[in-house]
Amino acid sequence: MLFRQAGIFHTNYAADRALFPIAADRWMIGILLAFGFAAPLLVNSLYLSSYLLPWLIWTAGALGLNLILGWAGQFHLGYAAVMGIGAYATVHATRAGIPWEIAIVLGGSTAAIIGIGFAFAALRVKGLYLALSTLALQFVMDWVISHVPAISGGTQATLQAPDIRLLGQPITSDAGLYYVALVWCILVTSFMLNLRRTALGRALIAVREKDFAAAVIGVNSFYFKLVAFSTSSFIGGVTGAILIGTFYHAVTPEQFSVDVSIQALAMVIVGGLGSIIGSYFGAAFILLMPGAMNSLISWAAIRFGFSLSIETLAHLPQALYGALIIGFLLIEPLGLGKIYNNVRDYLLVWPFGYVKK
Amino acid sequence: MKYLSIVAGLAWTAFTVMPATAADPMRFGLCYDLTKVYTFVTPQVAQAAKDYAELLNMKGGIEGHPVEMIVQDHGNEPQRGIECYEKLKRDGVMVFDMLSTPVSRAVLPRVMKDGNVLIQSLAGRGDAVDGDVFKWVFPVGPTYWGQAANDIEYIKQQSGGQLKGVKIAFLYVDYPFGQEPIGILKTLAAKEGFDLQLFPYPLPGNDQASAWTQIRRFAPNWIVSWSLSNMHVIASREMKRNGIALDKYIAVNWMNEIDIGNIGAEAAKGIKRGTNVAGGSNHPLIQEIIKELYDKGKGSGDRKNLEDVYYNTGLAIWSIAVEGARLAIKKDGWPLTPDKIKAGLESIKDYNANGMMAPVTVTAQDHGGGGKTRIEMWDGSKWVPQTDWIAAYKDDVLSVVKAQSAEYAKSDSQK
Repeated sequence: MLFRQAGIFHTNYAADRALFPIAADRWMIGILLAFGFAAPLLVNSLYLSSYLLPWLIWTAGALGLNLILGWAGQFHLGYAAVMGIGAYATVHATRAGIPWEIAIVLGGSTAAIIGIGFAFAALRVKGLYLALSTLALQFVMDWVISHVPAISGGTQATLQAPDIRLLGQPITSDAGLYYVALVWCILVTSFMLNLRRTALGRALIAVREKDFAAAVIGVNSFYFKLVAFSTSSFIGGVTGAILIGTFYHAVTPEQFSVDVSIQALAMVIVGGLGSIIGSYFGAAFILLMPGAMNSLISWAAIRFGFSLSIETLAHLPQALYGALIIGFLLIEPLGLGKIYNNVRDYLLVWPFGYVKK
Repeated sequence: MKYLSIVAGLAWTAFTVMPATAADPMRFGLCYDLTKVYTFVTPQVAQAAKDYAELLNMKGGIEGHPVEMIVQDHGNEPQRGIECYEKLKRDGVMVFDMLSTPVSRAVLPRVMKDGNVLIQSLAGRGDAVDGDVFKWVFPVGPTYWGQAANDIEYIKQQSGGQLKGVKIAFLYVDYPFGQEPIGILKTLAAKEGFDLQLFPYPLPGNDQASAWTQIRRFAPNWIVSWSLSNMHVIASREMKRNGIALDKYIAVNWMNEIDIGNIGAEAAKGIKRGTNVAGGSNHPLIQEIIKELYDKGKGSGDRKNLEDVYYNTGLAIWSIAVEGARLAIKKDGWPLTPDKIKAGLESIKDYNANGMMAPVTVTAQDHGGGGKTRIEMWDGSKWVPQTDWIAAYKDDVLSVVKAQSAEYAKSDSQK
């Protein structure tokens, strides 16, 4: 119905290879983009700065993690550490007087270099062992930051981040910061969309499915694993830098602790491995749902007049949130992105459901 | 871009700005970690804040304005703390407390930029007592540096007025909270000539065995411990195992009646702690809360929490905040602004909430209120004060504070 395929003829290679061959997809993306760019006018500043902005940044982060986890199939439990490396490198670089545009590239590159250095050691093992050795990256980073005052910014372990300057213009308004995040998120998303139809993307998928089978057909799996690690670390590093520049305005080790790594992993898994729209859903779910549940429960408590103790009121949303994650993964183990795809697949051929079979 | 934000800002103001009326409550924002790391203290503090507000409202509020304590959970996650701050800020809250070091650090840049009052007692950066640099942050209460210095002063009193040759072990959990007092302790060791040795143990603090074996070899006269709640219980077990008497142990303020219960009330006899609030519920203020609220079934939580020293800590934090607001209304009148509240807080003088805590005097330069603490000893059933309220080595503590706040001022000016 909505996603009508009738009348779409691929008469040349470009049309055949289009990212979105179906008109409805293009419309939806157009509307979402228009909303994204108009958001500062449509949405009040609380929602803009406290929900939309972090959501976009974390989506970019989740996409970066999805590259290594969903595309290349390599576990990574230290993604927050990678983001932290990028953030610290960028903040130190800007404080040393390097323009922010160059500093984030430096931050991303530092993260990529450390990420790849770690990958050299880590990739000698596979699966759960790899997961544990990436977890080591997280703990090594935590320890280094809290024990090297030159990195952490003294005993208080907080480093004030200079304001973002683009082409010398300081960006301080909510709308300005939002656009920085939006542009980065769009960049990462289009990179990931296009990755699927490049040789690199196909090689990564081959490695994910079976690395020695990939080697048999001539894909150097070790090389592509390293590429995946460094690319995803670069995205992570820049995302970390943008998170600090637009949202936290100061960098501390706790912002990139092991809990945050687990959260990023949860975003990817709840959203769906290898799914781009799933990363958007996953980031929204993990990031915004606890707050939303909190408001819902407090609202319900006032509306229906049941009085709960402070602690129950705080724990109830957590329990509900946990139940929701379990519920969604029970309904669709492949994540929220897959739920969206199921709906889309159904509508694709509606009302002729038998076509699917 | 700038134009857009101005339009958005105008639209927002048009929606929200309404004239404040006299019946408007005075709102305080308690963004607390009620579910993850700080749960050993936050429920009691939040309960104390709510009880105190209830009691004030029964008496007509602050100078006629009802008090409202808004409690929200942030799960110790910086981004949820920021969300809580941003939301409550728009609801007209001007005084905030995060009671979590990571979250306090995360909201600090926003608080300083927006000009809202951040009460930040006992969690967050200690150098924020420097009111010249941290204009909007009020960590009323002792800094960890001041508290450590006061512990040394107590040891000095116990050792006959001099510390030459006294062996002091500093036991701490190896992350920023525990590392904080090291600098001041080293300074004091050089100055007073006592023998200081450091004994770190890793998070989460369940395994302190190696630290204690080393302490046994060192055979210290005193052990100063920077640990949190249950880590003290582990420490007491290790002390028993290593044959070290418990009365040498001076804990930081984070040790409460639950920990004593876990050690065993009888077994814990002689253990000491530094504190800025008097322990137990035998104070006029708590007795009043019991009489007016709990005896009538109107308390905000479990009655057994009233025996917990963290409840007293909460009362201390929030009675100071309320006192600041009261002075502000008295001086500059309703409606309040953050500027007025700041001025109110900075005019608090010798306030001790009816003998509940160390008297505090907040000034524009000293947002810590003097940093007085005392040493209390557990005698098997209650806490017995061992000293007066003291603030020792003020110059040394101040120089640590100044050095760190200057670092912040420098990094802030580079923005």
